Amino acid sequence: MNMPRPPSSPAPRGLFTAVAVAWTLLVAATLVALPLALADRLPDPVASHWGPSGEPDGSLPLVASAAVPLAVWVVAAAGGLAAALRRRAFPRAAIRARAAAVLGWGGVFTVGLQIISLGANLDRARWQDASGIGPPLVVVIVLSLAAGALAALAARRGGDDTPPPEAEPPVRPEIGLDPGRRPVWVSSVSAPVLLALGCVMAAAGVLLFAGTLAGQTRRPVEVGLVLAFAGLVVIALSTVSVQAGPEGLRIGFGPLRWPARRVPLDRIERAWVEERSPLDVGGWGYRGLPGRATIMIRGGECLVVAYRSGGRLAISVDDAATGAALLNALLATARP
Amino acid sequence: MLLMLDLNDPRPLHEQVTAAIRRAIAGGEVAPGDRLPPARDLAGALGVNANTVLRSLRALRDEGLLEFRRGRGVSVLRRPDPREALRDRARGLLEEAAKYGLGPDEVADLIKELS
Repeated sequence: MNMPRPPSSPAPRGLFTAVAVAWTLLVAATLVALPLALADRLPDPVASHWGPSGEPDGSLPLVASAAVPLAVWVVAAAGGLAAALRRRAFPRAAIRARAAAVLGWGGVFTVGLQIISLGANLDRARWQDASGIGPPLVVVIVLSLAAGALAALAARRGGDDTPPPEAEPPVRPEIGLDPGRRPVWVSSVSAPVLLALGCVMAAAGVLLFAGTLAGQTRRPVEVGLVLAFAGLVVIALSTVSVQAGPEGLRIGFGPLRWPARRVPLDRIERAWVEERSPLDVGGWGYRGLPGRATIMIRGGECLVVAYRSGGRLAISVDDAATGAALLNALLATARP
Repeated sequence: MLLMLDLNDPRPLHEQVTAAIRRAIAGGEVAPGDRLPPARDLAGALGVNANTVLRSLRALRDEGLLEFRRGRGVSVLRRPDPREALRDRARGLLEEAAKYGLGPDEVADLIKELS
């Protein structure tokens, strides 16, 4: 299997980028070449979707069956690569590993899907006659996950070009605290796209739920409820308010600033600013496990606090340098 | 945005909040054109009622420092001029001086001695 291979050269990033681009192009070419090469043995339209029973229940013209996976792959792979290259993110092994995992998994998965769906259509007169794809699909899922894991392992080798600084000093000079004044830092960050998406999901969920109750659709009640709940979660992560003061850090989620999370000052070791992107932490929203989590609303500067217990919490927020400087100043006064 | 609420300020709460926001604007915490955090966030951080913050924001709008725009929140229009920024502190100084029985003229003399 042709996976993004790691270099053993001192600059792993250059070779990684070359292999990743080659892999992207190879997968794209395969996705187009397969339906073209088999065109005279395939029905047109071809079966493109299978129902839970294993019978084909949807079809696409042959041209679209080549174009749709290609478009999905190119947008996902090339978009991800371009974003990482523009941010010069590939010197870091962890980011290379993540990109390689997504590329390896995504490439094998899309090509695998293409192979089994064309295979099911092969030598059939009509798309309705296509065979089921259940067992091969399981194989493709397992293989693609394995490919992703292998690619991540391979890309991680070579280490970081330059080790990332463990703690960047706050950009802002120290804040002088006056005992007669109560200092507070207030900032927030929002993603209007997420807010709109969350509202649409919640509204659709409520409508579905109401439709099910009224007997308009035969969907189970849970579908509407789950969609509505997911919408609420997206809304809660669409905007976040972050406040720092003598009590510590407070993070309020959603337009109502509730639920909120408080980190008392005496649990904080220190604070600093880091540049992080959704690519670094695996997407938007609440990322990672408690103790190493990132609340990622938008890429860019993040306020990072280290707990005295050893964990960390990062929040993408505007004006993070001021927040970090204030927390450090408060910590310095609290324990001289 | 960094705000410093004066704990020894004897004035009503909304005036203290007004002074804190004005100081933040004067100190460059928020520049002209920047948006202020929502009033609810400011209120939560300062530990006061949201209506108190709204009252302060309206006072600063009437001073011409802030601009309210529908759907876009509150943004900074300009920095207070130095005289305005110092007026608050001068008033505080005079009040403090009055406690010791010193009048404005004596305070002015004191300032001249120092400069």
